[in-house]
This record gives sequence, C-alpha cells and structure tokens, in this order.
Amino acid sequence: MKKDKNLDELFRDKLQDYEQEPPTYLLDNILSAVSGERRKKKLIFWRVAGVAAALLIAFVAGWQLNNGDFPGLKKTVIVGQSSAPKVPSETKIQDEKVTSNGEATTAITQLATVEPNSSIRNNYSKSNDQNSKSAISTLTADSSPANSTTESLLMKPLKSLYRLIKPENDYSNKLQAKISNDNAPELIQKSIDQQIMEQNKRMLTAENSSKGKARWFVGAQVSPEYNVSKGSQSKVYASNMLNASSNSADLGGGISVEYKKGKRWSLQSGVYYSGLGQSSGNTSNSGGKDLQYASAGSNYFNTAVSVDASSNRMSLNSNAGVIELSKIPTGLVVGTSLEDKTLNSSVIVSPTNFIQNFEYIEIPLYLRYTLIDARFDVVMLGGFSSNVLVGNQIFVDDGLGKSLVGKTKDMQSLNYSGTFGLGFKYGLSKRISLNLEPRIKYFLNSLNTNSSVTYKPYTIGVFTGLSYEF
Amino acid sequence: MDLEDFKPIISDCIAGNQKAMAKLYRQFAPKMFGVCLRYAKDATEAEDNLQDGFIKVFNNLKSFRNDGSLEGWIRRIMINVSLEKIRKQHLMFPVDDVAIYDSINYSDDVIAKISADDLMKLIQELPPRYQLVFNLYVIEGMSHQEIATEMSITQGTSKSNLARARDILKKRVHENFGEINAKNNYTA
Repeated sequence: MKKDKNLDELFRDKLQDYEQEPPTYLLDNILSAVSGERRKKKLIFWRVAGVAAALLIAFVAGWQLNNGDFPGLKKTVIVGQSSAPKVPSETKIQDEKVTSNGEATTAITQLATVEPNSSIRNNYSKSNDQNSKSAISTLTADSSPANSTTESLLMKPLKSLYRLIKPENDYSNKLQAKISNDNAPELIQKSIDQQIMEQNKRMLTAENSSKGKARWFVGAQVSPEYNVSKGSQSKVYASNMLNASSNSADLGGGISVEYKKGKRWSLQSGVYYSGLGQSSGNTSNSGGKDLQYASAGSNYFNTAVSVDASSNRMSLNSNAGVIELSKIPTGLVVGTSLEDKTLNSSVIVSPTNFIQNFEYIEIPLYLRYTLIDARFDVVMLGGFSSNVLVGNQIFVDDGLGKSLVGKTKDMQSLNYSGTFGLGFKYGLSKRISLNLEPRIKYFLNSLNTNSSVTYKPYTIGVFTGLSYEF
Repeated sequence: MDLEDFKPIISDCIAGNQKAMAKLYRQFAPKMFGVCLRYAKDATEAEDNLQDGFIKVFNNLKSFRNDGSLEGWIRRIMINVSLEKIRKQHLMFPVDDVAIYDSINYSDDVIAKISADDLMKLIQELPPRYQLVFNLYVIEGMSHQEIATEMSITQGTSKSNLARARDILKKRVHENFGEINAKNNYTA
C-alpha cells in the first residue's frame, strides 16, 4: 500500500531531526573564543580597577599637597607614571586580537554570501572526512575566497594576521601560496598557527622595543617674558620705599635637551637665559609736602635716601631690595639737611624711574607628559629650575638714554623656581618640530637676602622654537 | 540525558571549565549543525553560525533557566544567530501577492529515493527569504503571524514567500526525482 505525503511533510520528516557531525576544529575555535571573551572581561575589570587606584592616589596626593607636603606630590607623579599607562596598553593588544577575530568571521561570511559556489555545495556530505576533502579540493582548485570549509578556517587567522601586519602584505601572500601547495589540512592549520604565533611574537617584540626606544630632542627657544613683581616688606622698610613699580617685559630663551622614553613621558633640561626687570619711582601727590623740594620742571619727588659718609654711596629702598647708587645720575637732585624735620634728612629728586634689571641663567628639570600624541602634539609640563644670578644692574633714563647708576644690594646668587606650562608641538618634518609653550614660572624663595624684604616675582612667557629629534 | 544530568555540566561551563564546554558541545553540536545547515546556503556559512551560536551559548549560560529544555534553548540561539545573519545580508522584500500553490503528494517510492542530504541541498539553494520562511513555517512550526513579527515583515509577505518556496521546491523535486503521484490545491 502506498501512502502519499505532501511536500511539507516530506521536508519535515527528513530534516526535522537531521544531524551532521560538524568539523572538529570548530570546537577549538569556540573554546578559544570563549576564553578570549573571559580574558577580555577580566582585563576590563583590571583596567577599571587601575583607573580607580590612580584616581585614589591622585586624590591622596592632592590632599597631601593641600597640606603643603611636596614630597607627597613627587611620589604621586612617579606612581602614576609607572602604573597607569600599563593597563590600557595591555588591554589594547587584547582588544585588537578579539576584535580582529570577530571581524574576520563576519567578513568571511559576507564574502561567502556574495559569491556562491555550486561546486562546493555538491560536496556537501555527512562525514567529516568528506568535509575535509571538499575543503581541500576548493583550496587547490579554486582560489576564490568563498564557500570553502578550510578557507573559512584559513581566512580567519589570515584576516587577523593582515590586520596585525599590514605593511607586510607580501608575507601573507607567501603564506597563502604555501597554503595552496599543501594538501594536509591539519598541517596547514598547524603551520599557519605557528607562523601567526611567530609573527605575533615578532610584532610584539618590535612594538615593545619601539616603546622602550629612547629618543633625544635638542631645541632652541626664545620667549618674551612678562614679569610681575610680588613680595612684601617690613613696615619700616616700606615707609621709605619707592612704592610704585611697573612690571617690564624682557626676553628669555635658550637651548633645551629632552629625553623621551616611551610614548608619553619625557624629561627636559637645558640652559636658559632669562631677564627679570622692574621699574620703580614715586609719583608725587599734588600739594604734598614733597613737592616744595622739587626743582622747577621736576615731575617726581623720590624717596628718602641715605648717604653713607664713609663710602660716599647713596642708597634708597625698592620693593626688590636696597638700591645702591654708585654715582649721582644726571638729572637727579639730592636735598640734605632739610629744614622740615618731618621729612627724612636727605631726599632725592628725580624726573624718572629707577629700572632694576636682573639676569639669570636657568637650569631646568621638567617632566613632560604628552596629552595628545599626533602630528599636532599637546604636552603638559611641570618642574623646577635652579637660577643663577649673572646680572644685577640699575639704570636711570635721564632723557638722553639709559645710564647705569648702580645695583641692588643683597641679591641671592642662587634661586629656585617652579614652572608649569602647556606645550603645542607641530611636526614640520620627521625630525623637526615647531614648539609653542606658554609657561608660568614663580620663584620659590625670596630673591633678596635682606630680612626686611621678600621679593618673589613670577614670570609669564610664551616659548617658541624648533626642536630636532635624533 | 535529561536536564538534571546537564545541571553539573552547566555549572562547570559557567565556571569556565573547558572540558565541560567540550562535553556540552559534543552532545548538541551534530543536531545544531543540522539546524544551521537548513538556514545557511552552504556548509561554510553553517559552520560560522554554529561557531557563533555556541560562543553565545557559553557566554550566556548563566541566563539559562533550568526549568526549560536546554536543547530548545540552544536551538533557539542557533536559529536567532542564523536569522540575524540573514537580516544583515539580505533585505526581506515585501511581496504581498499570495500565490495559490499546487500541492503534491509523493509516493513512498519517491520518498525512499530522496535522502535528507538531497532535501537539505534543495533548501540551501532557495533564495534566502524563501528558505527562511519555509524553515520557520514548515520545520519549526511557527505561524505566519509569528514569522511576520520575528522578521519584521507582513503576514502577506510571509505567506507569499512560503508559496514561492514551495513552488520552487516542487519543481526541483520533480526535476531531480521525477514521478508525482497526486495533486491537490491549497493555499498557505
């Protein structure tokens, strides 16, 4: 007796519980992908933990700094440098491996969809052996990237390999050529795995060595420097002082040497010249007592002056320290033994200001951190400098030009300053870069040793220059 | 093996034990490969789907509630992975004209001549949208409404695709295996 079945039943009966053994290598692929996912999750955890730890350290350091504990700050910088960048770099490598694997899978599937290959479909079979044969025949007979069991297997590592070694395309070509000449799928897989592992190892070693490679930069920089006077004086000192001072702009610059190991951090030193100047005088008050001593045409009445009888030197007070005059400048009138006893015994009358100039040679040690590493780098820098006083002069502009009249007494010969700045670096060529670095420098100690005077100016400058990498 | 037997294996898999994963895989892989083959156009695509499906299975085993069928859960993941792949690769063109399909009854002689592999090949050669609807309706037993919701198409499109799939398959069976025994008309 014949029992008829319609089409739906025919397919349902035959295919509903259809089973076929998949190729054995799939299990390895699945297990390695699952363990990769788990590792990735663990790395994400450690990265988050690392960031949290860095934030905690930064918080503690900030708290210590707030309490005036400078060594605490130094410690934080070192810890941040050694621990924080490590985690992201490891994660990056892991991420790239996982992503490339995933993308390769998608790419192969898409290729397979676009170019159907009927010859392979005919090789469809239940047994593993036959599957393997089908794969081999495709490899040897058809170089098209679609529809091959082994091809899928091969293309995945090759795709990820290609991502890792883009510049070495010829290597992957050689690899493919080797594959097409080989007949044993297991051997192919093994040899590809080995080569990929070796290649990965080489890439990693190259990456590590390039990371660890030390780079040196030498540069020259100039900067207009705007000096802002800041300090305090004792009450007695201040009562007889040139109490108006204007800030001046000077020129600074020098040669810098930078040592960079790694991608972000670098140390910079060098030799800089920096000028520090200010102008002091007294503007008379209209109707003040002082004016009666000013000669006709004089606009200013300056401060009390003391005359040392033994050395015959005159001196007067400024906010930077005591000005010692080595000669009487042209246009200055000195009044002594004045009848008005409310005034000092001697005063000096001047139509101009005293210009105090200090020159320093600065030897800095800056730590630089690259915030944005691209053709246009953005860098943050901070550090300390030793400043050696090499020039100490006082000028008076008498209308005919500036004339040197003396120096500021009790100036400290060695001072320390702190610097913060932001740098912009533009690569003009592979080795030459243009730099623009706004910096602020402040002196940590008083520039004058006089106990009545605290003089700690700060300087704002925009350093511009070129640097050369070798 | 029933669900109770799988519970320790599932726990080990969740803990990351690769031996347990291999055991679970070996238990279900042949059947799931059969499912993937039906939704793929060739063995390579089916392998990819099987691989992606099992990776999902192992990564999401925590979310498997131990009160249902493990095989059904894994099967659903395999079908979802396959559907997702088809969604990405092919647009589901809306075709609303419901064709009248000439039903054919096959004799046991004809059926005996046709192997499961032959039928699998015929299904794989269908255009993807017809293959998909035929699989979901005929093999999985889903309704047109369910298929329409699943694939974001209208029920009319689902019915039309099924009719076209049947039409193509009928012709291919006839071309390959000859003899048609009887004829009835019915619509999807």
